[in-house]
Amino acid sequence: MTFAVELKGITKRFGAFTANSGIDLAVRQGEIHAIIGENGAGKTTLMNVLFGLLQPDEGTISVNGKPMAIDSPAVAINEGLGMVHQHFKLVPSLTVADNIFLGMEIRRRGLIDRAAQVERTRALSQKFGLKVDAQERVAGLSVGIEQRIEILKVLARNARTIILDEPTAVLTPQESRDLFQTLRSFVDDGMTVIFISHHLEEVMAVSDTITVLRDGRVVATRPKQELTKRELVRLMVGRDVSFDRRPRHIVQGESVLEIEDLWARDDRRLAALKSATFSVRAGEIVGIAGVAGNGQTELAEVLSGLREASHGSAKLHGKELVGCTPAEIRDLGLAHVPGDRLARGVDRNAALSTNILMGRQKKAPFAKNGIINWTVVQDEMRALIKRFDIRARGPRDVARSLSGGNIQKVVLAREFTAGGDMLLIDQPSRGVDIGAQEAIHDEIMRQRAEGRAILLISTQLDELKALADRIIVMFEGRIMGVVDGNTMDEDAIGLMMAGVDPSDVKEDE
Amino acid sequence: MEVLSTIFNVALIVATIRTTAPILLVALGGSFTTKAGIFNIGLEGQMLIAAFFAVLGSIWTGSSLGGMVIGVAAALVFALVFAVLVISFRANEVVVGLALNILAGGMTISLMKAIFGTRGSIVGRGIVGLPKVQIPGARDILGPYTQLISGYTPLIYVAFIAVPVLILIYGRTRLGLYIRVVGEKPEAAEALGISIAKVRYTAALLCGLLAGLAGAHMSLGYITMFTENMSSGRGFMAVAILIFSGGDPWRVLAGCLLFGFADALSLRLQTFGFPSYLVLAVPYTVALTALFALSWKARPKLIRETIETMQRALSVHPAKSETPDTSSNRS
Repeated sequence: MTFAVELKGITKRFGAFTANSGIDLAVRQGEIHAIIGENGAGKTTLMNVLFGLLQPDEGTISVNGKPMAIDSPAVAINEGLGMVHQHFKLVPSLTVADNIFLGMEIRRRGLIDRAAQVERTRALSQKFGLKVDAQERVAGLSVGIEQRIEILKVLARNARTIILDEPTAVLTPQESRDLFQTLRSFVDDGMTVIFISHHLEEVMAVSDTITVLRDGRVVATRPKQELTKRELVRLMVGRDVSFDRRPRHIVQGESVLEIEDLWARDDRRLAALKSATFSVRAGEIVGIAGVAGNGQTELAEVLSGLREASHGSAKLHGKELVGCTPAEIRDLGLAHVPGDRLARGVDRNAALSTNILMGRQKKAPFAKNGIINWTVVQDEMRALIKRFDIRARGPRDVARSLSGGNIQKVVLAREFTAGGDMLLIDQPSRGVDIGAQEAIHDEIMRQRAEGRAILLISTQLDELKALADRIIVMFEGRIMGVVDGNTMDEDAIGLMMAGVDPSDVKEDE
Repeated sequence: MEVLSTIFNVALIVATIRTTAPILLVALGGSFTTKAGIFNIGLEGQMLIAAFFAVLGSIWTGSSLGGMVIGVAAALVFALVFAVLVISFRANEVVVGLALNILAGGMTISLMKAIFGTRGSIVGRGIVGLPKVQIPGARDILGPYTQLISGYTPLIYVAFIAVPVLILIYGRTRLGLYIRVVGEKPEAAEALGISIAKVRYTAALLCGLLAGLAGAHMSLGYITMFTENMSSGRGFMAVAILIFSGGDPWRVLAGCLLFGFADALSLRLQTFGFPSYLVLAVPYTVALTALFALSWKARPKLIRETIETMQRALSVHPAKSETPDTSSNRS
């Protein structure tokens, strides 16, 4: 049996931190091999080592049974390895064909032969069933198509082993399914796919063999048939974690947030939120589902006062939010957990206590006569560190020294204790580990039980499935439909996320 | 009207072409670094040092070509130092660029003192200027307009021919493509095994080459002399043009022509008795105003937002319930 790729005893250290420790990984030819693990488990480091972007401190790499030193991506490409990065590396001002042949341009008499590149791109696109327009510029293409281009790029270099780093993070469920079909057809052709993910369901759905990493070590490598989802989580996190829908009492509170015919524009001045109308009751979690970039951000920004609405109204307890400043909206009782925690959630370079103070720097007991009482702030932060299980040494820690999940907890701690009865939560578990995610979900459910009205924006359907009482699906700024959280059908939501009207679907059937 | 027609005539166009050439050369050089993602503020110094060494070289070798080669070599040394510090040692581009500019200014002055024992300027002393190129047959076809295309120094032709050449380089050659990619999306280049450092070094040296030619043209072109700080801000104007044009050769040409025209115009106006210190400011004022006007729409978000906030703060606060701008947004 030859292995497409075999890693033995790979160790990679960054200073005192060991990202990979003695990793053995053997990927058979013609299989889809998933590598799963939490953030910081060392998946991406390992793949970068394999692809020559990083050099291992110890260990050996064999490709197709041949031991070799991969000291640059060029060597890896030569050996038939291809990598589709998590963050696409396409050049926006170049055309699809230019991007695909970048680094291996077809030339005639010293000049780049555009026509031949377009020709080859079309041929590749047809052969592998990946539809693209070869002459289009990449700027403005959807992420799904960008990913196709990335895959074509790898195929154009005659890759036989394709590494995909978190390929589905940016895709709709349908796009993911298409991707998996494509990958399956590659494997049927005798190619090998290595697939990195922290998404349990898709790993279970698509892979043949699963390797679990935890804290830089291989915890297990097993055929998929021998694993259940629950076991997989236990291997990943090291303990049992529940993903089931959270039990709940049905509460029919009064309506807290009323949104009517709300419109907003994005930074390019195009309509990004179109005629949104819905309400959120006290003690209810309303989820907003949708692929990133379909108006959810704009909705959150309008509600929190960070973006002007172009039309319509949003009332909190009957008071108009449109036209208010963020501070006024906060005073009216809306707490906002922003989607991009590093841009809007925290000041990375400030201490935790400073971060927790933000927004309440003028209020008692934190300030008196315009002077901040730091003792109170530090005590509060200490209490919050305990209550929200924030892994930090103390209130003086600088925010950026914390992991993403812990920074998120700092933001949640501040917003959940702000005293507002409306919580606007945008992507609470983006880039957060499963373990931390569970704690965050617990806290959201606690807030619900306390009678807060919660608007939860998430691109992860699992999260909405576990938490939301009602799910609103958005596509291109419009509300496509509302689904009951208890009886939700993932396919129906997926179709709505892709812009298919639910009534059309029923007619088809 | 008579005054206007004496100002605006063929001679003005010829003068525009002549004044445009040095700044066009240096700006096209900067186009390489701009496209490669390096902010090269050191153009001024590269030009100045080239101008000085071109004079020196022409005295030493007794030929204008020798002068040009030595001038370009000096600029390349400066470009190499810039590249080593910025690309290999990751020093701040602005700091390194400014330091090299100051070094060039000081070095030319002290070398002038050491070699020629004078301050201010070097004139005569056997400096050989660049020859003028007479295009054969041009006089027969164009008659009085011959001077529009014939009789310039060779570097002027080089400058204008360089524009389409650069477009070809960026559009159709591997090097040009890599320069663009390295500037626009370095991670893409890295992932494909393109050496970012190598491409940036190449761009920096190509920049030095053109900046050197620009410097040589300044001191060996129409006037064969070197004066202290004779680049007089042209390198900085080139930087301004590069910022506004993003390094695109056509736009660089347009910006340089504008500056060259204003420069030629100011020379003209001087002969009409306008105060010289005002007239000398004309090219810079015209070019900056035009560039600012062009980029007003594309002004950075920060400035735009600041202005909007100021307007809001100064105007009467709108009533809370009012929904702004209701009619036009239904799409």
